[in-house]
Amino acid sequence: MRFQTSDITVDGVRVQVLEAGQGKPLVYFHGAGASRGFDELLPLAGKRRLIVPIHPGFGGSDDDLRINAVLDYVVHYATMFDQLGLHDPVDLVGHSLGGWIASLFAIFQGHRVRRLTLACPAGLRVPEHPGADLFMIPPDKLPSTLVASQVVLAKMTSGEVTVDMKVARYREMTSLARVIWERNYDPKLDRWLKRVVAPTLILWGEQDRVLPVQQAARWVERLGSKAETATFDGVGHLVFIETPGAIERVESFLNGGG
Amino acid sequence: MSVLDRLQFYLMHFMPYPDVVPGRPQGQWVDIPNAHFDPVKGHKLYKEYLDELALGDELGFDALVVNEHHSTFYSLMPSCSIVAGALIARTRRAKICVFGTPITLTYPHRLAEEYAMLDVMSGGRLECAFPLGTGMEYWVNPLNPSNARERFRESMEVLMQAWTQPGPTRFDGEFYHYKYLNPFPLPYQKPHPKIYIVGSGTEDTVQYAAEKGFGYSQVFTPVAAQLKSFENYRNTTMKHGHTPDSESIIISCIPYVAETEAKAVEEARDHILFYFKNLLRTSDQMNTPPGYLPVERLRKRLEAGVFQSSEITWEALTSVYRTVLGTPDQVAERIAFWCEQAQSSKIVVHLHAGDMPHWKAVKNITLFAEEVIPRLRRKLSPALKAAE
Repeated sequence: MRFQTSDITVDGVRVQVLEAGQGKPLVYFHGAGASRGFDELLPLAGKRRLIVPIHPGFGGSDDDLRINAVLDYVVHYATMFDQLGLHDPVDLVGHSLGGWIASLFAIFQGHRVRRLTLACPAGLRVPEHPGADLFMIPPDKLPSTLVASQVVLAKMTSGEVTVDMKVARYREMTSLARVIWERNYDPKLDRWLKRVVAPTLILWGEQDRVLPVQQAARWVERLGSKAETATFDGVGHLVFIETPGAIERVESFLNGGG
Repeated sequence: MSVLDRLQFYLMHFMPYPDVVPGRPQGQWVDIPNAHFDPVKGHKLYKEYLDELALGDELGFDALVVNEHHSTFYSLMPSCSIVAGALIARTRRAKICVFGTPITLTYPHRLAEEYAMLDVMSGGRLECAFPLGTGMEYWVNPLNPSNARERFRESMEVLMQAWTQPGPTRFDGEFYHYKYLNPFPLPYQKPHPKIYIVGSGTEDTVQYAAEKGFGYSQVFTPVAAQLKSFENYRNTTMKHGHTPDSESIIISCIPYVAETEAKAVEEARDHILFYFKNLLRTSDQMNTPPGYLPVERLRKRLEAGVFQSSEITWEALTSVYRTVLGTPDQVAERIAFWCEQAQSSKIVVHLHAGDMPHWKAVKNITLFAEEVIPRLRRKLSPALKAAE
């Protein structure tokens, strides 16, 4: 199975949408890097319509300089859902920055979310276990920060870091800086999370060096009994790439299992 | 009329803290452990540095220049206004130049107030330059690099409105909102002190300065790149109906004057190298926080290999920057050449460099004032000589 790529225009900005499979829609909000592709998610498209929209300012989507807060992405996706005809509740998965966007989407567009999965989401203020300063990590040190699995790391660091790759990363970090330079969390999210009504799965790599796994407890505390957690030993920030167990866990959560 | 007929000498100081921390390839910025700061040493340095600048006033420099950097051994001036205030009290005639606080690091109305205070306190001796701030400043201040240029321009709008429109006025921007923009006091000079924009060669900064009728000064960048910016500046200035003059472009240099060329090299070379090797050194990551450069400009820099940090040699350094070590005649000759080449009558001289001790700075300032400036003032351009 492969992704089909198409372009759509949302609020005047061209964005790329990857789709695979057929059935009930599952929308995936990616994190702050879209250059590696998302093939690791394809198993989720077995019985579903998997939709991976690329955020403005990332990967193959154009920039939208008006987006300077995470909430702007929520507005962007509310519009895009209308355009894609996603009127019934969908399953929503968000990773890292995408987890932050997904949680806000579930807060403000709760009627559109059936089940919510947050994989090492950004956005909560956890002063005892703060996130890393992603902006200060040079391109050649990035893989070893993101990934704990040595097998995956060896694959990621095999090629040379080209000018194109550095420029692409600088552009994505610029887009990220527009929304989170001042702080990589929103103090209000802590209070707002009680508005989430969808059952929620929190996934985390136990060796995550970008957002420490200890933050998971804070999410569960704020979300209450509708939340469940799964953590993975030997796994860093790129949970879905680093272990097939993460996809399997999402699969069983979406099928209603524990 | 030649630029040499109205040369003005701007004595500038970086006020470095020279006890650098070794073994730091990323340089002395941002995450430099500040436990290495010794306040007793700092006290001694402030005294020496202020003495050096005050000596410049006594010996006839036209202006004294200070600037601002944060969280770095490069500079003991996280607030150039404070140093300027101290200089005003110790000097009588030289212009005081704050070159300056990045306006985005503070509230624009507050900078309008502070600079107005300095202008009134000094009886109209203030000049100000507005830099975007180095990339390093963004890591240590609550300031987003991804919209730095937009915020900078809006801040300048606030400042100009505050200085030129009778207050209170109203301002509704993207970044700032003022219901009562009403600074007090207002500048001594009318309509306001001379303003320059400090750039690093980014084309749209050059154009911005020219469009607004501000002066332009370029920080440490190769001379050839500076000359290109100056030409661009002059052309844009004319396009917008302003007359470009030699006083709107400032060039800078690092001279050291001694009895012989050999002595000048012996006394100064290592201190200047120290400045480039230790104090100016930074990492690519710190120097270019995300969004600080437009993406395409970053690509150009990467392709040109600007970021491949190699060991700095004296030969390489002197081929791209304005550095001269020698006798008064040699230094005067070189400075005359640079001013004519850039068509600039204002030259910033860095007479203290790196870890230079006080006595050498005093010697250099004294010899420059007593031996070099008079030579240059007497010097006429070849064109005028021919006319005589």
